[in-house]
Amino acid sequence: MSFRARSVAWLLAAGLLAGCSGLKSYPDTAPRNLIVRTEASSGSVLSKTRVSVHIHEVDASCRTTYLGTVQLGDPTVEIGLPQERASYLVFNFHSSSFLGGTSGSINYETLLRPRGGYTYDAVARYRDGIYLVEIRESGARGKPGPELARRGLADCNRRS
Amino acid sequence: MALPIARTLAAATVLLSGCVTQHPQNAEEFRKMAPGAFLVKVETHEINRSMRQIGETFNRRAPECLNMRVRTTSQAPGSYQVIVSLYKPTVVVSGERAELHLQRHHEAGVMRVTKEPEGGYYLMVADAYPVDAKRSRLQIIGPSKGYDVIWRAILGWASGKDLGCPDLTKTG
Repeated sequence: MSFRARSVAWLLAAGLLAGCSGLKSYPDTAPRNLIVRTEASSGSVLSKTRVSVHIHEVDASCRTTYLGTVQLGDPTVEIGLPQERASYLVFNFHSSSFLGGTSGSINYETLLRPRGGYTYDAVARYRDGIYLVEIRESGARGKPGPELARRGLADCNRRS
Repeated sequence: MALPIARTLAAATVLLSGCVTQHPQNAEEFRKMAPGAFLVKVETHEINRSMRQIGETFNRRAPECLNMRVRTTSQAPGSYQVIVSLYKPTVVVSGERAELHLQRHHEAGVMRVTKEPEGGYYLMVADAYPVDAKRSRLQIIGPSKGYDVIWRAILGWASGKDLGCPDLTKTG
């Protein structure tokens, strides 16, 4: 098979897979206000861990609509979330082993309502089976504040 | 050749049903029955934090990290196994000790062979006792194999050095 034919086949396969998974890229058009620093280490050379964040918008009735996914493959990724509106963030840690055929996903979900003029620093860490997500708000001076409490959808009408 | 996981689990269940006639129905029974049982270990650690601080951390982290439904899949030639597990943590803090109980109920993929307490079989119990105003003794009773991430997470919470959650898909 020629290089061109192989490239087309790969692109076709990737397109099909992307379509089948139900995931889509997040339309990252808002000013970047969420900076995610990611560390991921499965703890084994025979497995790998991928980190992503699924972003949902939340309406006044606390219903969510999936907007898209950002793969957190780089150490730092900047994302634009709508200001003064709640977004529901689902951080996903997906582990798979090369040999055993086993895989598993674990999620950390939280609501975030970014304030205008503020940025948000998030850490998404997965180290040898232990994961942690922390989000802090930074004001105009850029000094990170205390860790924001995790908020579920039940808290979506609370303003703080 | 390795047996497919479903057959291995079924065989293990049959074997265990011949050995185990009763599972602990509460945390106190677990404390009494589990030590000395097959594939159960007891660890004791001295922690440089007060029992109250440990209890606060258990209260903050356990519901967030352990109150979960976990779906794991395993594939091998000729087999495909799906296990759905519901984990339930309970934290009890008294003047005597701070307790963390972890129960697990299998919603799919695993047979039950003995009476299951409400909330699931007891998997681990961690108790922090005061040594003095600033130190505590932490005793954890739980499975000796396959649950390393939960052991490490509970130790991290108790010591305050790592507040991360265990990836419960990495257990069993």
